Amino acid sequence: MNAPDRYERFVVPEGTKKVSYERDTKIVNAASFTIEREDHTIGNIVRMQLHRDPNVLFAGYKLPHPLQYKIIVRIHTTSQSSPTQAYSQAISDLDKELEYLKQAFEDEKNRREQRQELP
Amino acid sequence: MDRPAAGASYQRFPRVRIRELRDDYAKFELRDTDASMANALRRVMIAEVPTVAIDLVEIEVNSSVLNDEFIAHRLGLIPLTSAAAMQMRFSRDCDACDGDGSCEYCSVEFHLAARAESDQTLEVTSNDLRSNDPKVCPVDQARAYQQALSGSDFDPNTGDQRGILIVKLRRGQELRLRAIARKGIGKDHAKWSPAATVTFMYEPDIRINEELMETLTLDEKRSWVESSPTKVFAIDPITEQVRVADAEEYTYDDEVIKKAEAMGKPGLVEINAKEDSFIFTVETTGAITAYELIMNAITVLRQKLDAVRLQDDDGDLGELDAHLGGP
Repeated sequence: MNAPDRYERFVVPEGTKKVSYERDTKIVNAASFTIEREDHTIGNIVRMQLHRDPNVLFAGYKLPHPLQYKIIVRIHTTSQSSPTQAYSQAISDLDKELEYLKQAFEDEKNRREQRQELP
Repeated sequence: MDRPAAGASYQRFPRVRIRELRDDYAKFELRDTDASMANALRRVMIAEVPTVAIDLVEIEVNSSVLNDEFIAHRLGLIPLTSAAAMQMRFSRDCDACDGDGSCEYCSVEFHLAARAESDQTLEVTSNDLRSNDPKVCPVDQARAYQQALSGSDFDPNTGDQRGILIVKLRRGQELRLRAIARKGIGKDHAKWSPAATVTFMYEPDIRINEELMETLTLDEKRSWVESSPTKVFAIDPITEQVRVADAEEYTYDDEVIKKAEAMGKPGLVEINAKEDSFIFTVETTGAITAYELIMNAITVLRQKLDAVRLQDDDGDLGELDAHLGGP
């Protein structure tokens, strides 16, 4: 009856930004990114990718509440980098990894088909 | 501590080996990446790869024993061929129509009309659905059509040719309806999920301490091998040595380790999960092929990552400007 629409789980409401960030007022090079309508799928891969960056001192994400469809990613970096830079780098590294993975799948499938054509 | 300058890439280069690939089943190894990536792919395959499913049903006549909502729900759960779903539009952001399903970009119309005339019970199945788009139809119909094309005669071993049962009608009962199928994702409703099962496991690394194993008698070896609930180990009938029969049968149950300790032989076997090596099993409903499911999952995940990229006008840049321009 008064249940919220199911699509509210993954459609960003009008007038809301997908990603917004707020810098920490007390610590330099620390910031929290709020990502709307995302969950553990994005949160966890971004966090793990940030951990690969030696300039990142801390990276974590949380899903504050199961009915609030957003995640908060917190990043703390050294002075050599910045949270926005580390975040953007992590996203492009993940994107390139997936591009590579897609190609790897296509190549593997072609190799298999060639193997099967041979007697 | 020496740290590289910011802006360096920490990209990984995963390796893939496909073990088995059929239309609705795939088994493959994924290496040189971590559990977060494996789990993201699994989650996307289950809940975010789009398919087409019946979403809106207009019932004209229904004198069957099932009520209208019941039938509408059953229609929704029928898997429809969705190879074109990635190129379709979601009806909510389709601008060619007002989302009422009257447009070719976001919807497919189905008709069903059945009436039991004889004394025999009439089974209304997914084969009675008539689609107005040949690309989108119930998966059984598509399979029967393909078999007819390839010239192979009716083969009862390839599966059930009767389609998916919707409702049974008694003499005089009738069902007539119009249904609209739309693109959607499993996150919205499970009927849109193309995945029957998607699982992954860590590849186990099993090392038997051969020296310690040789101190066991054949009977002790047998009882140790049998302590595993799955057939991971076996005894070579000729050499009477214990060997790993199938490492992937291991369910990380620790039974063999406990058994070794109980026998007073701790360290008889060492089993570790390889943290960067996964074995995936993917099964689909037939809406798309297993290979399409994997490829679409990668595409969808890339689109999601693209959507969470920082835009120029994000965050507190106003404050940053104040810092830069300040006294």
